Amino acid sequence: MIDFKIRKAESKDVPDILRLIKELAKYEDMEDQVILTEKDLLEDGFGDHPFYHCIVAEVPSEKQSNNGPVVIGFAMYYFTYDPWIGKLLYLEDFFVMEEYRGFGIGSEILKLLSHTAVKTRCSSMHFIVAEGNQASIEFYKRRGAADLSLEEGWRLFKIDKSSLLKMSSGPEE
Amino acid sequence: MHFKVRAAAKEDCKDISRMIMELAVYENMPDQVKTSHEDLERDGFSPNPFYECLIAEVPDEHKTKDGYTVVGYALYFYTYSTWKGRSVYMEDLYVMPDFRGKGIGTGLMAKVAQVGFMFHCMADPNWNSSIYLPCSLVGVEKQCVRLQLSVLDWNKPSLDFYIAKGAEDLTAKEGWHFLRFHGQTLDTLAKEAPKD
Repeated sequence: MIDFKIRKAESKDVPDILRLIKELAKYEDMEDQVILTEKDLLEDGFGDHPFYHCIVAEVPSEKQSNNGPVVIGFAMYYFTYDPWIGKLLYLEDFFVMEEYRGFGIGSEILKLLSHTAVKTRCSSMHFIVAEGNQASIEFYKRRGAADLSLEEGWRLFKIDKSSLLKMSSGPEE
Repeated sequence: MHFKVRAAAKEDCKDISRMIMELAVYENMPDQVKTSHEDLERDGFSPNPFYECLIAEVPDEHKTKDGYTVVGYALYFYTYSTWKGRSVYMEDLYVMPDFRGKGIGTGLMAKVAQVGFMFHCMADPNWNSSIYLPCSLVGVEKQCVRLQLSVLDWNKPSLDFYIAKGAEDLTAKEGWHFLRFHGQTLDTLAKEAPKD
């Protein structure tokens, strides 16, 4: 058993959020791809027009460290739009530090996200997972997630910057 | 053929709704469309819109046999990457069959990318952006150097269209899969959440 609390992130959590973002990127072998800074996160999440929402999981600190609780997990989400069914909740990042897994923290975060989705009139919660990440895929499937790439054939594509620039400077209509 | 790409107005929602259904029919999923033009009006034209939309229209002399001059649309919204920051995601790109092959789809995409660049989305010049589609002008204006989108694996004309513009299949290359919690599974999870 472990004592933990899940709450809405505040601006003071930004350094911890960035730390956990980098840990998740490292878990996905893509640590060098994180270019976001604390300043970006602060402006983009806690300014006049938030681009994302965040919840954090914290545990009481160790006796020998400082007095405050320690943030050991987070989930970042925002709202997107499906023209067929309307508003959706999109889960961008979801991570619990390795030593705190297996205590139900991830489960509680996911339940809170689902509750938020239903409360805000979203008909669905979407996210992407790398097919090599079997542990995460199993975690989601056990809870009823459907793999749309397998079931409906959706594939994710990217277009790089040079191609975008070529498109945007194309002939005017 | 001359055409114009412009930001959608509330009055365009009936046309957008019509074309959303046409795209769903093309994707063999018409029974999955639950939104009405009233939903689109509420969700896209309130103080806090959940999407933005560009439409393509042709002059009256080229209108369709049913009298429509609005012949294409691109629906997009802003997302957030924890690695790179602000992004643009193009959710739908559609041009009516009789108006394809005339640069309208490219024109719509170009406008979306432009908006993205202006909006300070991911200003890393070394970043290989993902095509989240609809962007040409949107992405560039909002400085979104990333555009992402998703395509059904059997949709060869669209796959060819995007690949010709430099799109890369991240599902094939990096193994990304789309998952969702929907309907009953979402409700079941939600009921177990701790009370506020």
